[in-house]
Amino acid sequence: MNARRLRRYIDDLLCGRRPRPFDADRFEAAQIRTAIELRAARTASGAPSEDFLTDLQRRLAAWIPGAQENADPPNGPHATRRQVVVAASAAALAGSAGVVAGAATERVAPDGRSHANRPSMQPGDGSWQVVAASADVPAGVMRPFDVGSVVGFVRRVNGQPEAISGVCTHQGCRLWFDRPLDQLHCPCHPTSFSPTGQVLGHLLRIAPDPLPRLDVRELDGSIEVFVAEKPPNEPA
Amino acid sequence: MMAQREPTAGAGLRVAADTGSCYPDWAAVYADNAIWVYRMIVKRIGNVPDAEDLTAEVFLAALRPLRTTATVAQVRGYLRAITRSVLAAHWRQTTGCDITSIDDVPEVSHEADHAVDIAAAQQVRRVLASLPDNYRRILDLRFLQGRSINESATQMGVSVANAKVLQHRALRRAAALTEKDEH
Repeated sequence: MNARRLRRYIDDLLCGRRPRPFDADRFEAAQIRTAIELRAARTASGAPSEDFLTDLQRRLAAWIPGAQENADPPNGPHATRRQVVVAASAAALAGSAGVVAGAATERVAPDGRSHANRPSMQPGDGSWQVVAASADVPAGVMRPFDVGSVVGFVRRVNGQPEAISGVCTHQGCRLWFDRPLDQLHCPCHPTSFSPTGQVLGHLLRIAPDPLPRLDVRELDGSIEVFVAEKPPNEPA
Repeated sequence: MMAQREPTAGAGLRVAADTGSCYPDWAAVYADNAIWVYRMIVKRIGNVPDAEDLTAEVFLAALRPLRTTATVAQVRGYLRAITRSVLAAHWRQTTGCDITSIDDVPEVSHEADHAVDIAAAQQVRRVLASLPDNYRRILDLRFLQGRSINESATQMGVSVANAKVLQHRALRRAAALTEKDEH
């Protein structure tokens, strides 16, 4: 009974039209797959059109908060650099200067001004959360914390707090800190990380990613970590 | 150390990026990844309108919660995971059943991309080679050369109705062969 719908699906596919969904059984789905594979084997198929790419970029610019400015930098050559400054920058500047442990991004705009209202990629979808009292993180201590959505470790490097995720990048197991060896270990597979989050050793087929660094600041005797509402490395 | 954008980095330019570094902004994420995301989708969907919609869906879902501190490698892993779930949702919607082969979305690199293309082309050649002549010809004309049913019928010297039946049967046979390959 689906035969006609399957035929129409294949016809649409061949004509470059959008096929209409239907309840395919297993073998019909296999035929659709085969048709797609055959079609994809055609030469010169596969590249997106420039028009589509440009149009999508424009739609994204309109949709992502703060991206409008990125698309059309109003302030000359510095604007691009400034987009590096995340939403948290103003808060970081308000606290003690320079305490943010940025991985590879710059927190302060080149002109030294803060841009509280110019978020770019993480527009306030998160909050600063206290993870420890300043006094509880003396030099040389790796202090674990758990604020629900984020688990990690905080320590001081040259007096400034730094924080990394405490969850293994392989399968999400919670890491523990081996003080004598100064390493983080995964209980699930023999994987170890340095206090900066670099992979020191593993027996996996593919090396796991280093541990993500977390944005951290020190404010009024507390150490706080920026917790995104939806962690970027844990897609649904 | 940041991903360098070329001065003319417009839509879709594939920018060379050190995977340990970070993207300066969402536009750089888009410019560096839009093409492979689209290709990954269109290869598995087979039609442009749906592929464009799903590509947009991936970036709309991905870019909002993305943080600049994520490395290039992490961003790509994240995009790959979203692409996979968008494809899975599309398949469930389109055919009402899960299609398992989309699980094998590979690591992103030019080499891997190329290897997948080659593997797919070999698979197609293998299937075509094991079909009877007239089945192979109709599939070649219709799918690989993109000829219309009328043109294909003329080429093969059969009636249009006959060509339609041939195409239908050839696709069934090819799908059965592909299924057998996998089990």
